[in-house]
Amino acid sequence: MNKRQTRLFAIASTAISALAFLALTIDSHRQFPKLTNAQNITPAVKHGQEVWHKYNCINCHTLFGEGAYYAPDLTKITQLRGEPYLQAYMRDPSQFYDEQRHRRLMPKQNLSDEEIKNLIAFLDWVSKVDNQGWPPRPILVTGASIPGTDLAAQQQADASGGKGAAQVPPGARPLSGEENPIALGERVFRSASPACTACHSIAPGVNMAGPSLAGIGTRAEKIVAAPDYKGKAKDALGYIRESVTDPSAHLVPGAMYSANGVSFMPNTYGKELKPEQLDQLAAYLATLK
Amino acid sequence: MRYKSQSVAYWYFAVAMVLFGLQVVFGLLSATKYLGPDPLLYILPFDVTKMIHTNLLVVWVLTGFMGATYWMVPDESRTELHSVKLAYIQLVLWVLMGVTAVIGYLFRYGTGNKLLEQPLPHKIVIVVCMLIFLYNIVMTIRKSGRFTTTEGILLLGLALAAVLYLPALLHFENYTVAIFYRWWTIHLWVEGVWEMIQGGFLAYLLIRLSGADREVMEKWLYVIVGLVFIAGILGTAHHYYWVGVPAYWLPIGGLFSALEPVALVAMATYAYSAIRRSGLAHPNTLALHWTVGSAVYTLFGAGLLGLAHTWPAVNKWTHGTLITAMHGHAAFYGAYAMIVLAMITYALPAMAPNRREQGTALGYWAFWLQLAGMFGMTLSFATAGIGQVYLERILGLGYLDAQLKIQVHFLMLIATSTLFSIGVILFIVDFFRYAPRFELTAETDGNIRPAAAAPLRA
Repeated sequence: MNKRQTRLFAIASTAISALAFLALTIDSHRQFPKLTNAQNITPAVKHGQEVWHKYNCINCHTLFGEGAYYAPDLTKITQLRGEPYLQAYMRDPSQFYDEQRHRRLMPKQNLSDEEIKNLIAFLDWVSKVDNQGWPPRPILVTGASIPGTDLAAQQQADASGGKGAAQVPPGARPLSGEENPIALGERVFRSASPACTACHSIAPGVNMAGPSLAGIGTRAEKIVAAPDYKGKAKDALGYIRESVTDPSAHLVPGAMYSANGVSFMPNTYGKELKPEQLDQLAAYLATLK
Repeated sequence: MRYKSQSVAYWYFAVAMVLFGLQVVFGLLSATKYLGPDPLLYILPFDVTKMIHTNLLVVWVLTGFMGATYWMVPDESRTELHSVKLAYIQLVLWVLMGVTAVIGYLFRYGTGNKLLEQPLPHKIVIVVCMLIFLYNIVMTIRKSGRFTTTEGILLLGLALAAVLYLPALLHFENYTVAIFYRWWTIHLWVEGVWEMIQGGFLAYLLIRLSGADREVMEKWLYVIVGLVFIAGILGTAHHYYWVGVPAYWLPIGGLFSALEPVALVAMATYAYSAIRRSGLAHPNTLALHWTVGSAVYTLFGAGLLGLAHTWPAVNKWTHGTLITAMHGHAAFYGAYAMIVLAMITYALPAMAPNRREQGTALGYWAFWLQLAGMFGMTLSFATAGIGQVYLERILGLGYLDAQLKIQVHFLMLIATSTLFSIGVILFIVDFFRYAPRFELTAETDGNIRPAAAAPLRA
């Protein structure tokens, strides 16, 4: 090859690649509205996107896996955490996580209520974009989909020794009494004995020994209102509390969850947990919309 | 120094050095925050230090590109610059833009769009600076009437870099579409036209340092540019994984980004064979270290480590983890930091005549400490990233719990980045140690002495 030929190679290969790229770009634009549910980009979502940029969220978090790697990915966060949870969290993250334990903490952002609401709307829109099913497995903020893996070695030893696993919950932090009840409820969810997380995931579609609790807040409302509901609860919170203390009061369909009208879930929580712990647990679960 | 106006390059390099130092300071600060807890949580949180860290990188590397171009074009075209005054005006504007942007970032005044955080007024100043720069260079070349392929490739790279910055000025209401065009700037810069710029500098340095035949070097430079763009343009697709674009970008991204290392292998082979077979040996062996080092480290950081997580079936698990930080650090350092440091090391003895042409002992310490430090940092990010992928993505451990279990790698990161920082400090000290004296010499290439080596074959 001489210099003229190699120049021709450089120009031709660049031109062909650029043309192919432009053609694909045009076709992508044809598909963007459907893939991203563009009709759902409401003024609230647009404003939420501005909030996302204004507070520089992307330089700690990732969205669609893009950003910095210092804080959890938020692509599907609204499917893992309900709106009331996220609202309470964004008002004061230190009520939910302890910097001493996790060694990092989100600084309080002083968002207005309007900004929080719209940011959640934006994140909810993001969570519904068709992105080829990523992430392949839910990316949790804390906890674990395999029970016990988030425990330190000492905690595992203590728990298996049977001396009050509830005293050393995963994510343990000194209680100050300032915590949000929802945050405390999440802690009960992971620290009750046996831990709720041992059988229940909060990721959609992840059914372990017990059914996934994703969206339980919404589902509870529907169940209570349905004519075939036989329990004593009057509202969603009551129903959640009842299913913890008296699992057989209303059975979730499925041969893997119950037999002969008796739920497989332990019926010991009514005695094991204090009334305020049950309230906290129900408050937390009700946020999973 | 053969042309008086080449002295502007010194001041560009000096600014680049200061910004490089600052970049490392903010990088170290960010690294300590991985260990936590953070006493500066409400003064300098991670998002601010990280944003300043990455922005300073882009600004100092671009400053270095500009300085190196102002050095190289008079040499190549054998003429004085069109306007020295314009070059200084451009530098002042550029520095003002950079300094005010960083001060703004301290107060979170930015667009919150990764790597394109510059507020609109700053973006406009960036475009103005680029236009002044291109005008000055084009006029210089026109005046001289001598236009080499090497500077042609460099100039085209710089012009395309300016053009590709334009999508960054647009606003999109659909976040996915915004991501789509953000990569036109970021990806097509670093995996397209910046590689052209790197190729241009590399060819210039190799011709000067090894005395390799210009015709042969420039012929292969075209091949490298062709390979860069075959893979680089459609390789943009590897940034389109999982962001809400059509699924066909997945196989396209896998295929073409797997081809990206081909150009980098070609570049490394090109550099190695040039020095191996050349008939001349330039006394500035330190510059040769940086030049060949850049080509080889690019192959490692951009090529090998990029390839490691570019296939969609792999990237599905590694996307958005510290694996990306591993690749990013090694690739940027090898390809762009090192080529600028090579140009500086090559040009410096001519601008500060007290300096040993062969490079100072301090200079060699700087080279090896930086290389060792960056290699260690890359390994720290890699081991942390592998741990994160396995614990968080595969076993399903929560993000915060997984990060706690990989703390030891952050300790290693801080240790190795300290080593790297010492290398950077030494380089900066070595830069400023000798006062510049801009004296004209008839022909710097007169220093080249013939060496017993086989001539480069076409």
